[in-house]
Amino acid sequence: MRSLEAVELTKAFGGNVVLDQTTVSFRHGKVNALIGPNGSGKTTFFNCVTGLIRPDSGRVSYAGADITRRTPHAIARAGLGRTFQLCRVFPRMTVLDNVLAATRPHGVNLFRGARGRAEVDRARGWLTKLGIEHLAAVEARNLSWGQQKLLELAGVLNSEPETVLLDEPAGGVNPALLDRIGALVRELNAEGRTFVIVEHNMDLVMSISDHIVVFDRGRPIAEGPPAAIRSDERVLGAYLGV
Amino acid sequence: MPSGALLFQSVILGLLLGGLYALLAAGLTLYFGIMRVVMIAHSAFLILAAYLAWWSHTELGIDPLLSMVVTVPLFFACGVLLQRLLLARLRAVTLTMMSVLLTFAIAVVIEGLLGYVFSGTQRRIQLGYGSASLELFGARIAVVKLIAFGLAAVALLSLYLVMKRTTFGWALRATIQHRDAARLVGIDTDRVAGFGFGLGLATAAIGGTALSLDTTIYPSLHWHWIGPLMAIIVVGGLGSVPGAAAAAMLLGLAQSLLQIELGTTWAQTVFYVALFLTLAVRPQGFFGGRLAQRF
Amino acid sequence: MPSASERLVTPGRIAGAVALTAFAAVALAYPSIAPNPYLLSVGIVVLNYAVLSTSWNFVGGFTGYISLGHGALAGLGAYGTGLLVTKAGLPSFVALAAAALLVAALAVPIGYAALRVRGASFVIVSIALVLVTLLVFQSWASFTGGSRGLNVPRPFPGMLRPEHHRVFFYLFLALLAIALLVWWLIDRSRFGLGLKAIREDEDKAEALGTPTFAYKLVVFVVSAFFTGLAGGLYALWFGDLDPIFQFSILTGSYMVLMALLGGVRNLFGPLVGALVVGSALEYFKVEFGNTPLHLVATGVLLALVVLFMPDGILPAIGALLRRLDRTTDSSIREVTAAELAAQRVGGEQHAQPRSG
Repeated sequence: MRSLEAVELTKAFGGNVVLDQTTVSFRHGKVNALIGPNGSGKTTFFNCVTGLIRPDSGRVSYAGADITRRTPHAIARAGLGRTFQLCRVFPRMTVLDNVLAATRPHGVNLFRGARGRAEVDRARGWLTKLGIEHLAAVEARNLSWGQQKLLELAGVLNSEPETVLLDEPAGGVNPALLDRIGALVRELNAEGRTFVIVEHNMDLVMSISDHIVVFDRGRPIAEGPPAAIRSDERVLGAYLGV
Repeated sequence: MPSGALLFQSVILGLLLGGLYALLAAGLTLYFGIMRVVMIAHSAFLILAAYLAWWSHTELGIDPLLSMVVTVPLFFACGVLLQRLLLARLRAVTLTMMSVLLTFAIAVVIEGLLGYVFSGTQRRIQLGYGSASLELFGARIAVVKLIAFGLAAVALLSLYLVMKRTTFGWALRATIQHRDAARLVGIDTDRVAGFGFGLGLATAAIGGTALSLDTTIYPSLHWHWIGPLMAIIVVGGLGSVPGAAAAAMLLGLAQSLLQIELGTTWAQTVFYVALFLTLAVRPQGFFGGRLAQRF
Repeated sequence: MPSASERLVTPGRIAGAVALTAFAAVALAYPSIAPNPYLLSVGIVVLNYAVLSTSWNFVGGFTGYISLGHGALAGLGAYGTGLLVTKAGLPSFVALAAAALLVAALAVPIGYAALRVRGASFVIVSIALVLVTLLVFQSWASFTGGSRGLNVPRPFPGMLRPEHHRVFFYLFLALLAIALLVWWLIDRSRFGLGLKAIREDEDKAEALGTPTFAYKLVVFVVSAFFTGLAGGLYALWFGDLDPIFQFSILTGSYMVLMALLGGVRNLFGPLVGALVVGSALEYFKVEFGNTPLHLVATGVLLALVVLFMPDGILPAIGALLRRLDRTTDSSIREVTAAELAAQRVGGEQHAQPRSG
């Protein structure tokens, strides 16, 4: 099973234990959501999975292979792509270059021109899909927040990841855009891509997810389909502090 | 095998040297902690202070230590101006890199001016008590080195007291640890940063005076110091004053001991070896703890 | 509407082509039109700076890592060439090639350590590199001649001075052309795009699948190779090496200043910077004699560039020309609701055949 799994993942910052023996696995081919109150370890989890920070102990595996100690780029090449909570794009590169910079999983001849016909067409395809084709020549730093979010998404998708980790895709985004992002996720999922989405916007989560995992204080406390999670008492307790 | 007395002497000298390094490195750490600025001109200001001490001694007959009465406040003011007028103008995005280049430029200007005004001739203060030394269990220790260490110790202690006990010190530490949070609680971080810089350059004034007591000075001497000082703050952990002090003591000791076998010039390489090792093994430094930044 | 980057003929491009042709013409004719051998040698010095700063710009321009230590690499190339000729008896240009390859090889462990850190730490390491090589070459007098210096025999012993300058002028020009070519190739390649991504956001680039460390190391080695070549060629031309001048922080800082002044993101930025600063330096030397005032001038110039023109001359000119060209305007408007609906319908129509 080509799924993403973490086994007893632990990470502490100073005295603050953010991930506490976290064991969780995400369903391949599904739209998974990772929800939980602030500080429950969701972004840290993403960071450990993608190699940005090293966990204190535990294991992360993807498609059966142990990826705990791998570098971020090796993990990306293994098929895991991610976006960032505070949207990260390449500010002084054009929108088109931002997307072109995403490397595809299999190696590319380095000295080939960066702007070959095939690459540019593919990049433009993603820009069109996300509705920002008209901004192709604009430098990323001149885009609005919502446009940058779309750009970040286009970039990640251009690297053709098998599994896409989205960190708060709805953060600071207007409802129309939100709908579009949700529709896009479902569309791409129908094509075979797995998603793991960290999100606070419950409407979005409930409407597009197949499977939800709830974190609280560094551990999963509940998981299941949206209907089950919506009425789970532990979840309500975690969010409302009851 | 060097004699016990020689070893003992080297250890003492190493500790004294380490203390001086600690003071000099503390200033560098302050700049980095406050503003993520690598102040390459710090050692140039050191040499400037040394020249001023020499000049006041040669031309005005004043004891070099007294020159601090003028140089310390003067350098403090320079530091404030430097931060407010120049460094604050740099864009935040490329601050670290651009500040390196800017302070590098300042260092070169100071060196050029020193060379122009005082010529490239090597200078040395001839003090009445310059060759006096103390005998301590068979070790011969120059009085001037003790004075230098004393200056460094007093300055570091004062710095410590300021940082821990005064309101300004608290504001400074808050600004260092988390600038935005400090602003939120009402601290005028711009003013504090300016004063922090002034403090850093003030330590350069003191350090330079200490240096002038028994070192031969020439305009390009600052390159001789910036390398070891930067190695110290990287080994100690960028941004941590205690870390820098610890690294300074350790490396000062190592340098002094190595001098027995390898001579002065090759003993200097200990700093670069330590730097290389730190980068290879633990880039965030060894002594800084959680305060240390990676870059 | 085609945007500026897609149209082939723009005011910017025309101006650039004209300038380039003019420069090439002047450069090729320079040895013939230079009034005296001294000015010809000034031309060589400027060309040397141009090669050095273009070589520096492989690292500085693409990855954004500012190295103040490239002077060490140039010095190693110079001394390497000199020592291979004097101690190993190699023919001059073989020694040059060998020395450059040696520098490139050395750049691997150096880069391996230095590139593990970023920003300020990297600058510190680069400075330390220069200082430590200076130390070594000054102290190891038995091997390197120490402070007495090293004398490198001329490659063409019978040649007279003017002819010697002439030959080396063209050699440096050729080296410059090659360095520019390689820079241009990298600039438009996939590799170059990856490097620029590193410059913009290294962690993000890595998260997108770019092997950042390997990329940085490769470009560092390439940079070192060309820098070593320039240093070695200088040794063959000048003939006299002194550690203080070869391993000078100042040379390294000139490289940075020139590249910054001209514009690090431009192919010809370092060249323009070298022309401006190199000529200015020679002028200062004539005006102020060899006093330390040229240090002051360098420092002030660097400070001014950093404070007021951090992007450099060429981008400033480029922006000016772009303002003259009114036809390119991408509006940065949000997609309207109607467009959104239209796109969604289009998207669904697009998706259906796949799931069907």
